Amino acid sequence: MNSTERIVATLEGKPLDRRAFIPVLSLYGAKLTACPLDRYYSDPAAYLAGQIAVQREFEPDILFGPFAFALIAAAFGSAIKASSVQAPNVRRPAFTTLAGWDELVMPDIDHNPHLLYFRAAIRAMAREFAGRVPIAACLPAPIDIPALVMGMEGWLDLVLFDKPGAQRVLEKVNTFFVQLANRLFAEGAMVAFLPCGYASPTVLNRDPVASLMRPALAQALGQLHGPAVLHHCGAALLGHLDILAGLPQAIGYALNYDEGLTKARQILGEGSILLSGPLGTSIAEMDAAQVKEVCRTILQERDRQKDQRFILVTLGADVPWHTPPENIHAMREALAEVGWNAA
Amino acid sequence: MDMQDALIAMIQQADRQGAGRLLDGWGQEHGYERLLAEVLEPTLLMIGEDWLSSETFTLAQAYVAAKVAEDALLKIAERKKDGDIAPPSKGPVVIGNIEEDFHSLGRRMLGIFLASDGWVVHDLGNDVPAAEFVDRAVAVGARVIGVSAMMLTTALNIKQLRVELDKRGLSGRIQLAVGGAVFLVRPGLDREVGGDGTARTALEATALFSRLRQASTEKEVTP
Repeated sequence: MNSTERIVATLEGKPLDRRAFIPVLSLYGAKLTACPLDRYYSDPAAYLAGQIAVQREFEPDILFGPFAFALIAAAFGSAIKASSVQAPNVRRPAFTTLAGWDELVMPDIDHNPHLLYFRAAIRAMAREFAGRVPIAACLPAPIDIPALVMGMEGWLDLVLFDKPGAQRVLEKVNTFFVQLANRLFAEGAMVAFLPCGYASPTVLNRDPVASLMRPALAQALGQLHGPAVLHHCGAALLGHLDILAGLPQAIGYALNYDEGLTKARQILGEGSILLSGPLGTSIAEMDAAQVKEVCRTILQERDRQKDQRFILVTLGADVPWHTPPENIHAMREALAEVGWNAA
Repeated sequence: MDMQDALIAMIQQADRQGAGRLLDGWGQEHGYERLLAEVLEPTLLMIGEDWLSSETFTLAQAYVAAKVAEDALLKIAERKKDGDIAPPSKGPVVIGNIEEDFHSLGRRMLGIFLASDGWVVHDLGNDVPAAEFVDRAVAVGARVIGVSAMMLTTALNIKQLRVELDKRGLSGRIQLAVGGAVFLVRPGLDREVGGDGTARTALEATALFSRLRQASTEKEVTP
């Protein structure tokens, strides 16, 4: 089985030669190719070279398109700051109030240079790895995009104190999100990974998630031309998983292993893909033996060993620049030691 | 239901306007000069104690609490012009996000809670170089600097602030509070970057700052 066949078989619940593993190594490609990050996050060819290096070194079962949400923010007019060791960061939001959305000219997916970069990187990766390794687009969920554009405070203000205003923003953002995600599917992405911080029970109470965020997600995901994985992005998700389960096109949900994967599986049912693993930020600070132990714990003590539709991933943010490569290899080694196959 | 319970209920429901009306009513009846010490501070303390131990505590609840506190502080400040409000009692404090960090929400909330707790807050904003923190702390006579970072890469820049305090012989005299999302997921990071203490949330940070202020004072009188 190659990675594409393995992922498809996992989705279909068919027998596997081994369990899939998906470290999030968008940034790490730049480290492997010693590529300056300003070039890596603007030149699709440089990004492709990094991902070829990632595939050669680690053989992950999915490769990610650029994980650089600040570039989405920049497309809306937010100011960003480059870094030499991580993806760009939002320095200043484009605006901070609802009025800004009314005046905003939405980014042009066919002309904005940042968005063209995403598209070209995915297109190049899809060509390079066609039929061998699935490509995932990594996008902020539409419910998180307003925070990139108007800042967390501005977005929380609307969500908590001006629900009609928040709905107006979400309608506008959904149109953009659906267009962008569908372009990325057309370029060759097989799946979209969508961190969704504003669905997390550590961020919002149940009411705004149920009455505002879920309907917006349902509306957006229902228009996608490909499947999506909702990602916990470092915050908890289990407490609201019952609200988020069953969203259209949502084939998988990624949760922190400390949250209770058995309960997550009960909520999701057998048909969904469940993903979990060590936090990307933690994997950098552990040694290889500790990484292996976390993976073993998830598979053996958290009852995932027999879960046919469970995939080992890294969670939270991208695997950091300074992560020793042996720590990433340790994930594969743990799978091999515990047993590749779902029993 | 007493005043504090009623206010907490409003905050839990994200009813900012209702909370404002409640505080206005109390201020008009008992005097705005008493609002901070007798209502706001104990309510925020109660929220801190009760909610932080709860698994259902959310950023949104803390944010609503901060906005209600901010609204109340504005009202108190408006009356302060009339000279009927006692000055903040805990002295100056300097806060900011460390160089290269741009995640301002936690810091903004911290500033509101510290002001509600009686501090004079000097907020330097995002992306603040280490030397600027120390320069301002010296200029205003702050005993505590509160520095925030959301990610590991930027949190490590806080080390430079400790170097700057050491270089100027101010460590101990000026205490360093560190915080932000990354400190929650990486125990021991506060010590690794040279912090004198950390708190899980902006609500809990007011107690930390008081402890650090006390530590600074003791350091000064201890030969």
